[in-house]
Amino acid sequence: MNVLRAWGSIPVSYRVPVLVALLMVVVSAAISERVLDRLSQTQEAALDGLAETYLDGLSAAIVPAVMRGDVWEIFDALDRTTTAYRSLAPLETVVAGVDGRVLAASDPGRVATYSQLPADYVAQFGLRSVSIDSDTMAGSTRRDLVYQGQKVGAVFASFDVSHLFAERREILVTLLATNGMLAAAFALGGFLLVRRITAPLGVLESHMRSAANGMAQPIPPAGIPSRDREVASLFNGYNALVQAQRDSDRLATQLAEEERLASLGRLASGMAHEINNPLGGLFNAIGTLKAHGSAPGVRETSIALIERGLQGIRDVVAAALATYRPERSTRTFAVADLEDVRLLMTPELRRKRQRLEWSVDLGSGEVARVNGAPIRQALLNLLLNASAATPEGGGIALSAASRGGELRFEVRDEGPGLPPHVARILVASEPGPIVSAGGGLGLWMVRRTVDECGGRIAVADGPNGGTVIAMSIPIAQEERRFDAA
Amino acid sequence: MDRSKASLVNRREAVRLFAATAASLALPAIGRAEEDKVFRFGLTPVFLVNDLELLDHLRGYLASRLKVPVELVTRRTYQEITALLVSGQIQSAWICGYPFVAFRSQLDLVATPSWRGRPLYQSYVIVHRDRQVDDWTGLRGDVHAFSDPDSNSGYLVTTALLAENRTTPDRFFSHHFFTYGHRNVVRAVASRLAQSGSVDGYVWEVMRETEPDLVAQTKVLRRSEWLGFPPVAAPRLLAGDPRLAAIRDALTGMKDDPEGQAVLKLLRLDGFVVTEPSLFDTIAAKMDVVRRLG
Repeated sequence: MNVLRAWGSIPVSYRVPVLVALLMVVVSAAISERVLDRLSQTQEAALDGLAETYLDGLSAAIVPAVMRGDVWEIFDALDRTTTAYRSLAPLETVVAGVDGRVLAASDPGRVATYSQLPADYVAQFGLRSVSIDSDTMAGSTRRDLVYQGQKVGAVFASFDVSHLFAERREILVTLLATNGMLAAAFALGGFLLVRRITAPLGVLESHMRSAANGMAQPIPPAGIPSRDREVASLFNGYNALVQAQRDSDRLATQLAEEERLASLGRLASGMAHEINNPLGGLFNAIGTLKAHGSAPGVRETSIALIERGLQGIRDVVAAALATYRPERSTRTFAVADLEDVRLLMTPELRRKRQRLEWSVDLGSGEVARVNGAPIRQALLNLLLNASAATPEGGGIALSAASRGGELRFEVRDEGPGLPPHVARILVASEPGPIVSAGGGLGLWMVRRTVDECGGRIAVADGPNGGTVIAMSIPIAQEERRFDAA
Repeated sequence: MDRSKASLVNRREAVRLFAATAASLALPAIGRAEEDKVFRFGLTPVFLVNDLELLDHLRGYLASRLKVPVELVTRRTYQEITALLVSGQIQSAWICGYPFVAFRSQLDLVATPSWRGRPLYQSYVIVHRDRQVDDWTGLRGDVHAFSDPDSNSGYLVTTALLAENRTTPDRFFSHHFFTYGHRNVVRAVASRLAQSGSVDGYVWEVMRETEPDLVAQTKVLRRSEWLGFPPVAAPRLLAGDPRLAAIRDALTGMKDDPEGQAVLKLLRLDGFVVTEPSLFDTIAAKMDVVRRLG
């Protein structure tokens, strides 16, 4: 099992050549076995024929001498035939009489004349064909000497067959070398072929990796092979995917921008009110100053009035700038941010004659090492959403508290409740792409902000109807995570 | 009755019979003219008959001296040549001293080779080089190789030695066989086919030069006394034939002729000399010993 898994983990560009090489090894082993088998059969047949000829010639020469028991004649014949049959390479030839006594041997020093041949010596000789002993590399055979139907003696002959083994070895080496080279060539060919086939996959892989890092690039047309239709189709499919992703991103950016501009538009009209309201008073104060500016009491009062009116305008403008030019602000979240949100909500609330319950329990100054701008934007979005959902003359609420190492905000409305597909944008484990958010773009941006801060959102029904959206942002160790986001 | 003695005597009888029959059959043929022209010279394995170069030179030399074609007749055994010679079918032959003595009444001496200055040679008993043995008595129970039953140095000398010690080859050796050639005795002992052998000392000494590797595997255990060198003999039937005088002249004049010198050089002989038949009395004595004691 582990072997299979390990095998599966090897790249295909190595697996294929290894398989090809293994296949070649199996094929060559089968072929070599057949060739060597046929070779040994042929060799043995040739050896049998040669031995037959040798024994025929020898028998004809020695039968009369054997019948006379003429030791010298037999030895002389053995001596002559041994040199005459060099191709057979006789190792030893022994001629024995019918009583099993040695008449002569090609090497009388080894097998003494007139000695009795041992039975086990006789037993190792086959009567018809040459039996080959691979240990001693000797072939041996025997022949009965027959005269007029009577056995008069026997010849025991053994031959050097090392050349047969050498020939087999040589052919085996040739086969192994040839097949080895073929296997290596096929494996190399397979490797190159698979590399060639999988090269487009490598291109695709590198593009996908850079896409995963946020730099999705289409494969340039020059990189798309024109002849390989399958690869071209694959690349074109990938390029279509990249294009679709780019379109989607562009659309999302556009939508987000539009949403921001839309809420900005609404706020801008509210701000215009905010600015317009004190303007009448300011102009009145200026008129009073023109007419009665010499009177110290009037002048002081008018200037104070103008100052307050300009301060109100300055605050509104500053809050708007802080909210809609967030890149200029990198300061951490503070209670002042909540005040900005409250200020920005004022025109919208007034327009719809809605109440705002405001309950903040955060102390003062900086409360968390969390960038203030996105949180302020998120709270503003939630409150605008709550205001839009709540009927005119209704009430919305914001509570903020610092508890258990996290900031907890709750926004309550008196609306009909969040539709499930909108609620899912806030609470589902994966918010989904921006395009599917539909009308809930503001909430999608809230979700993104909370995710970036490592916080969480809960949606619940309010105690008197309506909806409660709770947003928790961790305080501790947030600096690192936020920077990373 | 001793078996070897009986067989020896019987063989001699047989040769006589065979020779007589062959002679009666062959004699009419000798009259034919074309047969007359060919001089038949018999050779026995007393020397190196396997040397074709030597045979060519010898035939050429004899033909040039005799002025007739010469046919060299070789047979496997001494016995066959002796029979042909005694019956007159060959005009002369180089035979061993033993058949010469045995058929002395029917043969005339033509010439005797001279080796190392004398018409004498020895018989050797040889064993394998590696064998540890002190003297010939240590050879009891051997497989022994003889050269030829009609050879002096290759059979009679050793048999006489055994007879003097009141034994025979059959009793002394476990087995013995004949190789029908002195060179073959050397081969048999060198290859250990036989544990010991009786061989012509002249042949053994010449082979030391011509086949040193083969001879080096043997060593001489016993040298006999000097005996008459195997002579060239002619049938007494042809006594007075002018060709016999011519062959004697050819042989004794060999050392003065270039081709004859080539023959002598190959044979390692000094030349041929005319000797008295009494040169072979020692061999006759050995024959007598075997007949009496063996």
